[in-house]
Amino acid sequence: MASHKRVKTKMSAMAKREERWAWLFIASPFLGFMLFMAYPIVFAVIASASKWTGINSLWGNMVGFGNYIKILSDVKFWRAMGTTIIYMIGIPIGMILGMLVAMGLNRKIPGKRVLTTMYYVPVVSSLVAVSILWAWVFNYDYGLLNGIYKFLTGTHGPNWLGDEVMVKISLIIFMVWKGLGGTIILYLAGLQNIPRDYYEAAMIDGAGSIAKFMNITLPLLSPVTFYVLITSLIGGFQVFVEVQVMTPSGGPNYSSATVVFYLFEKAFTNGQLGYGSAVAVILAIIIFIITAINFWGQDKWVKTID
Amino acid sequence: MKRRVLSSVLAMLVGASALMGCSTTTVEEAGEASGDNQAAQATEATNETESSSTTLTGEGEETLHVFLYMQEHEKEIYQKLIDQFVEEHKDKVKEIVFEVTTQDEYNQKMIASMTAGDMPDVFYVGPAAVRSYVDNGYIMPLDQYVDDATISSIWGTTQEIYRYDGKNIGSGSLYAFPKDLSCFAFAYNQDLFDAAGLDYPDPNKPYTYDEFVEVCKALTKDTDGDGEIDQWGVANADQWGMTPFLYSNGVKFLNDDMTKVNVANNKQLIEALTFYTDLTKNGLTPSVEQDTALGGYQRWLDGQVAFYACGTWDVAAFMDDNTFPYKWNLCGWPVGPSGDGRSHTWMGSVGYCVSATTKYPDLCAELVAKLSTDADGQRAVSGITTGASIQLPNIVDLAYGEFKDAVNNGTVPYASNVDVIFGYFDGNDHYAAALQEMDYTYNSEWFTPFWSGVFNIKNGDISVEDYVAQVEPEMQAALDEAIELQNSATK
Repeated sequence: MASHKRVKTKMSAMAKREERWAWLFIASPFLGFMLFMAYPIVFAVIASASKWTGINSLWGNMVGFGNYIKILSDVKFWRAMGTTIIYMIGIPIGMILGMLVAMGLNRKIPGKRVLTTMYYVPVVSSLVAVSILWAWVFNYDYGLLNGIYKFLTGTHGPNWLGDEVMVKISLIIFMVWKGLGGTIILYLAGLQNIPRDYYEAAMIDGAGSIAKFMNITLPLLSPVTFYVLITSLIGGFQVFVEVQVMTPSGGPNYSSATVVFYLFEKAFTNGQLGYGSAVAVILAIIIFIITAINFWGQDKWVKTID
Repeated sequence: MKRRVLSSVLAMLVGASALMGCSTTTVEEAGEASGDNQAAQATEATNETESSSTTLTGEGEETLHVFLYMQEHEKEIYQKLIDQFVEEHKDKVKEIVFEVTTQDEYNQKMIASMTAGDMPDVFYVGPAAVRSYVDNGYIMPLDQYVDDATISSIWGTTQEIYRYDGKNIGSGSLYAFPKDLSCFAFAYNQDLFDAAGLDYPDPNKPYTYDEFVEVCKALTKDTDGDGEIDQWGVANADQWGMTPFLYSNGVKFLNDDMTKVNVANNKQLIEALTFYTDLTKNGLTPSVEQDTALGGYQRWLDGQVAFYACGTWDVAAFMDDNTFPYKWNLCGWPVGPSGDGRSHTWMGSVGYCVSATTKYPDLCAELVAKLSTDADGQRAVSGITTGASIQLPNIVDLAYGEFKDAVNNGTVPYASNVDVIFGYFDGNDHYAAALQEMDYTYNSEWFTPFWSGVFNIKNGDISVEDYVAQVEPEMQAALDEAIELQNSATK
């Protein structure tokens, strides 16, 4: 390790002024972070150890780990956690589809821009608006899907949002649709960054398209895959809006509720802000652990061109 | 190594931001989302997304902050009332800041005010929150500031539900004046009755369970001859529209001191719930699947069902030909064999209260009484002078007198059987109503396991007896938690 000796130099007035400005620029995001991130996080952690309702005294109702212990045997929490994890089946599906479509769009095909825009529209659309729209697409009697189903088979289609299994499938379909555009754009950028020489060299060596895909495309897309995986996992644990809009009471027998849905219900419908905070803290810890595992594990499979 | 440290820091930040996301962002998103469902209609949610604040000034020294939720057209009327109040008290009032927000945002803003220890001078309290607000020292008793005549001019229920003696609701000091009183009445589509050649329901004699089934059978049909039923006797939303059927059979979910759930061995409940779910099993309501496709409210508006619940807040919409192009009227919920022989439903209310820390309790109490019981104000909100009824008058004499006259002579568009609602409000030989039990417990979480799974009975997946036995422990656990939270207020 190289050691650096601090050399004291006299700063000019201008340098001092510049330094003051620099501190000011640093201060604004720092203060913002302290005020809007650090403080609420600390507050949430403290609240999670209490029976705070928003109305009663926070400090007068401290219960230590009471909420956490209760959560361990909270059937509804675990049901919601299970559903949240099941929804994550959509992540690999979205990644595979995204990669395939990106590879398609990476060729010189007519209407490429129109197609890219079409795929990206859901990403920039309001989540609430498209959730309402899809609730109608999935509608049992009047929905587009069951309309097509009836046209093709002559029988009534499934109860997409009213059946315990189908509601999960419906939400996975929605989430894949909603996220696909973003994944495609990322993979497209990744594909365009792979130097053509690699493929040419492989061709000279006699590699077929599968070999090229497996040995060049896939490994060199791994940084994108890593990024998509991390952000999708984090997003996956935070799913809320679409569930709330499509199944406002959490689906039949609470089958579509996610952890954040449960958290919201506890904290803001039932006034258990302390308990809700404990759920949030647990969720944050889980996300932290999974993200950390991903970061530590990335050496094994994420390859870069350098 | 460096990379690992960096990875850990990044992961930590991501985890932290997730925590943030859970505690802040989603709240706003949920507010946006929940305006769409029927629960919102039943709780009179507003559609506006922004809060607004108006400052009204006088020449005195006292500044009041009034914080409420209401719809924009309601705000116009109330603003005029506050304007008048400032004029009448201009020697005292310096300014009144009148801030209005949406119902979705209201609770969160109130929690923020409570946490910050910066309460508005006048705000809302629901009957369920009176106890917590008083125990935590947020609101003050109003008895000494308001004369008895004013208090006795309002509906009996609203005189009681905002009283608290430190132990029980219903007696003791008065802590709020009603903004309104509402109830969940029943309505029928006259055109469908005419088409079926049936007599209209008698507003002075609600149907028995058996009579109701017979009428529903006559009104359930395949109108276009395609072999599928497309008109039903009734449609019910389990969360809101089931309890009136049950209450009308004498059902209570909790014991008298509201500490024990009583459903598993509750014969009246089992009888009423069997009747209620059989309506669907026998095809007199849309099926569970059909209900998920299109809710009862939409089917009612579309003329597909003959009976549907009608909250007092729904009347204006049903009177509007563009929304509901059918003739209709009010009637009572059917009466079960094991109740007191009267038709029962639930009522709702929200009240104006005064902050315990206000510097100007006299002025606040006067303002609250004005908003709640000023005759001209009540004429305006009930439509007597404006022609558009936002709510029923809080003043009993006004309701039975000028309001009914205005309904009868067509000044106020309202269902002519308005006496059904007054019967529920006031109680008589045929009608009775009360606040729901969940209005007296800290939250209504204990009731959710009950209503949310009733569709399983309708589907034939579980018997009524097994169902009530299955949900009771879950309900009791949630009730215990609610009691514990209620008690935490005094700590």
